[in-house]
Amino acid sequence: MHIRDGILGPEVCVAAAAVSAVAIAYSLRRLRVDLEDRAVPLTGMMAAIVFAAQMVNFPLLGLPVSGHLLGGVLAAVMLGPWAGCLAISLVLIVQAVLFSDGGLLSLGANILNMAVVGAWGGHAVYAALRRCLGTSVTATVSSAAVAAWLSVLAAAALFCFEFGMSSHARGFDPRGVFTLMVVYHALIGIGEALITSAVLAFVLSRRADLIPLPEPMRPHRALGQFATAGFVAALAVAALLAPFKSELPDGLDAVSQRLGFATLETERPPLLLGDYTIPLPVAGWWSVSLAGLLGTAIVFVGAIVLARVVRWNASPLQWADSPDG
Amino acid sequence: MADSRSYVAGQLAPDLSLCHRWPAGVKLCCALLVIVVSGLIPLEHWPAQGLLLVAVFMALSLAGVTLRYLARRLLLFLPALFVFGLSIPMASADGLAWNWAVSLWLRCTVSFLAGLWLIHVLPLRELLTVLRRWHCPVVLIAMIGFMYRYVFILWDELRRLRSARDARDFGGGSTWREWSISAQLIGLLLLRAMERAERTHRAMLARGWDGTIRNLDEELSTSRGPMGDLPSDGHQPSGSSP
Repeated sequence: MHIRDGILGPEVCVAAAAVSAVAIAYSLRRLRVDLEDRAVPLTGMMAAIVFAAQMVNFPLLGLPVSGHLLGGVLAAVMLGPWAGCLAISLVLIVQAVLFSDGGLLSLGANILNMAVVGAWGGHAVYAALRRCLGTSVTATVSSAAVAAWLSVLAAAALFCFEFGMSSHARGFDPRGVFTLMVVYHALIGIGEALITSAVLAFVLSRRADLIPLPEPMRPHRALGQFATAGFVAALAVAALLAPFKSELPDGLDAVSQRLGFATLETERPPLLLGDYTIPLPVAGWWSVSLAGLLGTAIVFVGAIVLARVVRWNASPLQWADSPDG
Repeated sequence: MADSRSYVAGQLAPDLSLCHRWPAGVKLCCALLVIVVSGLIPLEHWPAQGLLLVAVFMALSLAGVTLRYLARRLLLFLPALFVFGLSIPMASADGLAWNWAVSLWLRCTVSFLAGLWLIHVLPLRELLTVLRRWHCPVVLIAMIGFMYRYVFILWDELRRLRSARDARDFGGGSTWREWSISAQLIGLLLLRAMERAERTHRAMLARGWDGTIRNLDEELSTSRGPMGDLPSDGHQPSGSSP
């Protein structure tokens, strides 16, 4: 999972590091509000737990290699997204600087893929699902499992994007590598989901009080959480589907080609996302993926705006129901 | 754990070589510079990459890294890198794929060796001091210190849990059973560690902890008196041990 130095271009690493630094700073700010003076010992301990838990090997069926826990969702479920993100970042920092596991320059990219997407995104998916499924043990465990699987896939998608940005500058087409990466990480994600749910089930059976209930949120917070959850899910779906995008023309195009309609069509300038590519000066296959992501993001923003409009319409009714306000 | 100790050889043997005595910031910048330069060299200029490799190797020998240690780390690192690099030409019919794989192998090896040099010559205590000087948030540095302290405690705890498990278990069984046992191991470790963190927090409260981080090292280094040249204790990360 750890990206080594040399795999990504320096410019991509610097950009990812800048994003990660902002994410860590924001987490630190929120952490002081959430955990107050318990923040330092609890987060340090959670980082140490994840570090030690990664030493426990899980044998793979019939293979000479073994897997281990990644821990982003587990930490976020136990301590919340902010402390979870910081704990995984600390693990990655110490692994890179003291154990040479993962690169120094690509530390920012590693933190972005595993800590920010893993803990923030994973927790958003978990909390959104739990809100829908309820507070039973089964709901908690299954929500965490889904969140773990999605967060691993989203991390893989983000890596593919970063790798594409790096290799595109050097004129290389890495589409085949992506298919391998995504298939491989879909399997890793299943392992991560199994381990996370098994550990959570064990903790719930012994000390359920350690796992906090998702508290009722103010509307804009809940909105942000649903948006993050949706974005992680979209990233995962984009990762799964982008490499398998068919190169053949779709049904209508094929028919029009066969019947000669195409000659009747007049040339018109494409819309912004015409033919699912973004008209960038550096046209490449990854602009297809980027277009997919951008399109999904636009749909999400639309959905959020729609939800807000609906709530505004609905709120006067609620006010009318409760006369004391 | 003997293995875990040997990984952090830099911590146990300070002031051994010329490289160890350089200022910590210089060491960190040198390693980062080598990694950036190696990332920017295109494949056509592979002799430059080779020169960089030789330079890093010389720095490693100057830092007193034994060939045995180097071989062991490379033996773990190179096969994984080889497989990843090989997946590029396997998965892509592009004519550039082999070029790309070779330049990836070269770049990654140079960067890995530079990172190895850094972890050998930069003890955690110095790293935390540099981070503090570079205005890294104090809370983050304290968390790293805490984590580093706890990691060794938890490794010992994990070893005890494992030997207890092995003593009661005859091994064998299906893969599924092994998975559930390993997950229980992590769960148990988590419970014990969280209880320990709660105890530590209460002990800190009893000693007047209010959430602010004070640093003895900084107080000593800024004071101008004879106390200024007191050697700092290298055994534990400064100002953060519970």
